[in-house]
Amino acid sequence: MFDIKAAGAAVASAILIACSMGQAAHAADKVYRIGAPLPLTGGLSPEGLRMKSGYDLWAEKQNAAGGIKAGNDSYKVEIIYSDYQSNTPRAVQSAELMITENKVDALFAPFGSGATKAVSAVSEKYGVPMIAAQAASAQVYDQGFKYLFGMYTPNDTVVKPLVDLVLKSDPSIKRVAVLSRNDLFPLAIAEEFLKYAKAKGFEIVSDQKYPIGTVDFSSALTQIRASKPDWIYTTGYTNDNILIRKQMQEQGVKTRLIAMLIGPTTPEFIANTGKLAENVVTASWWDVAAKFKGDDVFGSAEGFEKAFRAQNDNRYPDYSVASAAACGVVLALAVNKAGTVEKPKVRDQIAALDAHTFYGHIKFGPTGQIESLKPPTMQIQNGQPTVVDPVEIKQADIRFEPK
Amino acid sequence: MTKAQTQFLLLIVGAAVLLLLPVMSGNYTLRLATIMMMYATLAMAWNFIGGFTGYPSFGIAAFFGLGAYAGAVVQARGVPVVLAWAFAIVIGSLFAYALGLILLRLRGHAFAIATLVIAEVLRELTNGMTDLTGGGMGLNLPFFGWGPDALGRFFFYAMFALAAITLATTYIVAHSRLGFGLNCIKQNEDAADIVGINTTRYKIIAFTLSGGFAAAAGGLYASWTGYIEPSDVYDILFSIKPILMVLLGGMGTIFGPALGAVVFLVLDEIVWRNFLQLHTGILGLLIVILILFLPAGVLSFDWRALLKKKVSAT
Amino acid sequence: MIFFQYLVNGLILGGLYACIATGFSLVWGVLSIINILHGSFIVLGAYIGIFSYTMLGIHPFVSVITAGIVLGALGYVVQLGIINRVVAQSVLVTLILTFGLELMMNNAMLVAFTADYRKVILEKSLGVLEIGNVFIAMDRAVATVIAFVLIFLLWLLMRLTSIGRAIVAVRFDREAASLMGIDVKKTYAITFALGGAMAGAAGSLMSVSFPISPLSGPLFLSKAFVICILGGVGSVPGAALGGLIFGMLESFGAVFFGAEYALTLAFIVLIILLLVRPHGLLGVKGF
Repeated sequence: MFDIKAAGAAVASAILIACSMGQAAHAADKVYRIGAPLPLTGGLSPEGLRMKSGYDLWAEKQNAAGGIKAGNDSYKVEIIYSDYQSNTPRAVQSAELMITENKVDALFAPFGSGATKAVSAVSEKYGVPMIAAQAASAQVYDQGFKYLFGMYTPNDTVVKPLVDLVLKSDPSIKRVAVLSRNDLFPLAIAEEFLKYAKAKGFEIVSDQKYPIGTVDFSSALTQIRASKPDWIYTTGYTNDNILIRKQMQEQGVKTRLIAMLIGPTTPEFIANTGKLAENVVTASWWDVAAKFKGDDVFGSAEGFEKAFRAQNDNRYPDYSVASAAACGVVLALAVNKAGTVEKPKVRDQIAALDAHTFYGHIKFGPTGQIESLKPPTMQIQNGQPTVVDPVEIKQADIRFEPK
Repeated sequence: MTKAQTQFLLLIVGAAVLLLLPVMSGNYTLRLATIMMMYATLAMAWNFIGGFTGYPSFGIAAFFGLGAYAGAVVQARGVPVVLAWAFAIVIGSLFAYALGLILLRLRGHAFAIATLVIAEVLRELTNGMTDLTGGGMGLNLPFFGWGPDALGRFFFYAMFALAAITLATTYIVAHSRLGFGLNCIKQNEDAADIVGINTTRYKIIAFTLSGGFAAAAGGLYASWTGYIEPSDVYDILFSIKPILMVLLGGMGTIFGPALGAVVFLVLDEIVWRNFLQLHTGILGLLIVILILFLPAGVLSFDWRALLKKKVSAT
Repeated sequence: MIFFQYLVNGLILGGLYACIATGFSLVWGVLSIINILHGSFIVLGAYIGIFSYTMLGIHPFVSVITAGIVLGALGYVVQLGIINRVVAQSVLVTLILTFGLELMMNNAMLVAFTADYRKVILEKSLGVLEIGNVFIAMDRAVATVIAFVLIFLLWLLMRLTSIGRAIVAVRFDREAASLMGIDVKKTYAITFALGGAMAGAAGSLMSVSFPISPLSGPLFLSKAFVICILGGVGSVPGAALGGLIFGMLESFGAVFFGAEYALTLAFIVLIILLLVRPHGLLGVKGF
């Protein structure tokens, strides 16, 4: 039938090879190692690559500035990446491998709340500080973990200000159509929006979800057109929203206000949609237009944009790359303050951090989730992203299309 | 010693080594071993319909995902974990049974395509039922408040038990009238029908076994990971990898699928660890090489002759 | 009338879908191979359309030719060099082989082009035509017309040329065709090349209206499955009809079931068809 002994021998030798290949060289001294499991392949790979570009940019800037200073020493930053293939157990497996074999000093969390939550159980166990660039859900931080920190406020903080602003600015806006991407973050945003808009008395005249990878929205948009909304609220990533905006025109959809999360502030959106971009509103955790200033390696939001464009084919940095780079900034500041790279001390300094950076004011709440951030609401006015909320950084009033 | 005795002895030794693993090794190894046993279960599950019966099923991902969601949905609503697994098995088996009634009339390419799209359909349905499943946001499960060490061991033993039960079932099926009947269907279904084998019934039993065990693996996986999302658990790779494992280990054999799983995952792990950007491509290359050069399984390759040649050369 | 809008939407989609599926159907019908690579072929064709426009200023409607030639050549080589070794084996073996090739090609494109979505931004768009209350995006409408022209050309090729007749002969009876002196191996490779060429052409057409990423491949592939079964495996006119029906199904199906279930609906139709009309709606074993 078959030869079990020979096969066993083959397997055993293969396992030995696997184990020996995993040993990374621990050569240079004074290196600050950070592990970052990323979804580089699979469905989440665009997100994974965005995060990576943020981490890489920060690491390069930090090293160019002489590395991270801790007491009298300075540490060179080294980020160890792995690809978890958009597959949550692989992310957990990677994190454990990085901690036990690569001996990382800190971790950058994977993409999304679910995967972050799964990995946080491992980082907590080993006492490794982990900063999450892309996990907004409060459930992730409710677990009572000490070593987990997150750079996003909960999703409702992105949704509510716009609803309140519309309510205050034009009470004649009543009928709302929602079109959302059935995917982690865009769906969560849409659900928050629906909940809050209903509570505030808006009438939901159309509520549709589209699958990931949809390229033709004509049917959904024709339905929206028939429902005669005053306000259309769409969620998705930049490309989804570009397509939706263009196809709205192709389908003759007219309305008084279009809100699109995420993407309208990006140059890709403005270049692709041209005049159609005008008066589209959006909100996100961070935007260059908010013009934050700080004392990190980037200096300001504009400084970050410039550095990012220089390294990434002149692409515009969105909130997700900023958040990723800000994770590094947080670590550098904390190690700096702690004067050492010892994990518990670094952890305490992250928890106590109160700093102004290119990402805005950073201060973590008792659960480890950032609480100082006020997500800005923006509108494209005269071809430029313009902040319309919150009041502190507002640049203009929100506009509506005439009836 | 006869061959059967040797096999039995090796089986006992293998099981003993596996059971001692939690005591002897770190969490990472334990995690890998748990994954291996999960895939071994999936490969054996596929073997019932694909290996014994010869039907080209690409449906493992569908049953795996369904089991994961069935278990997770009830577990998230407070059902104890073991009951949630039982529920996953029941749902998976029932679904496979019902599906078998419809799809097993198809053969060859039509059967392959039909089973392939079932996972896609389930993925979309799961995605759409946001209230029940969390849709694209995924489903978070409560950790039971144990430390990660205890949790790792618990799921290791649970997965071990599942793999052992699947192996035992494989053995029983292979040595029963059912196994004989399935083999007849594989050789020539029409002839089997003529000689009085109830082909429909046998095929459905094989398909249901396949679905039930895959769903069980899915249920365990969901509570082990603590977080599932549709694109994760209905991944087409869950359909493809078990087939490759069986092809590696030998179709329709008893120990082949489990051995194939181990060999495949060792290769997978080596490739994944060493090639950050290219590992899926290299995995693809491995698949192509396996298919082109070892169509009857790694075990068909005469390793012993190769070893002997080496020995005599030195 | 909103009904006419749905109808127009369905028609425009249908043309592109038909073009996606024709090559896939031909390969399946003649070689008995479910070509998982097909989705990636379409994506590579789209990249050729995109880069020809951004780097050389060639309109994607023109790049249809280059994309067709490049992907056709790639298809020829892949079939002759790799797939042909297992062509007579069971679907299990051939499907997994093309799946492995797909992993390689997808990974290569991911490294070369990144996962970011790209699209052609035309400097001179044809705009939107408004008839009554029905809106027609002209770039997409023209792409649909070109798609049908291509399918028609393929149909002519199958009918009128000796190579086309050889393909049809091999499809009906490989042994007999071989006895009649047809080089089966070469015919297979040419069929696969035609399948690749249609995929490449479809990709270039798509790049005008839809953003493309290496991740788009599986999406196109799953649509091709359904269309191919709808029209009958291996049939060129069948794929055209199947594409149109599928376009309508998506357009009108979304109205009744919601856009999120569009694919589910299509797959359920597929399974029902497999069971009741395994040779497709046209039901003819033509080409």
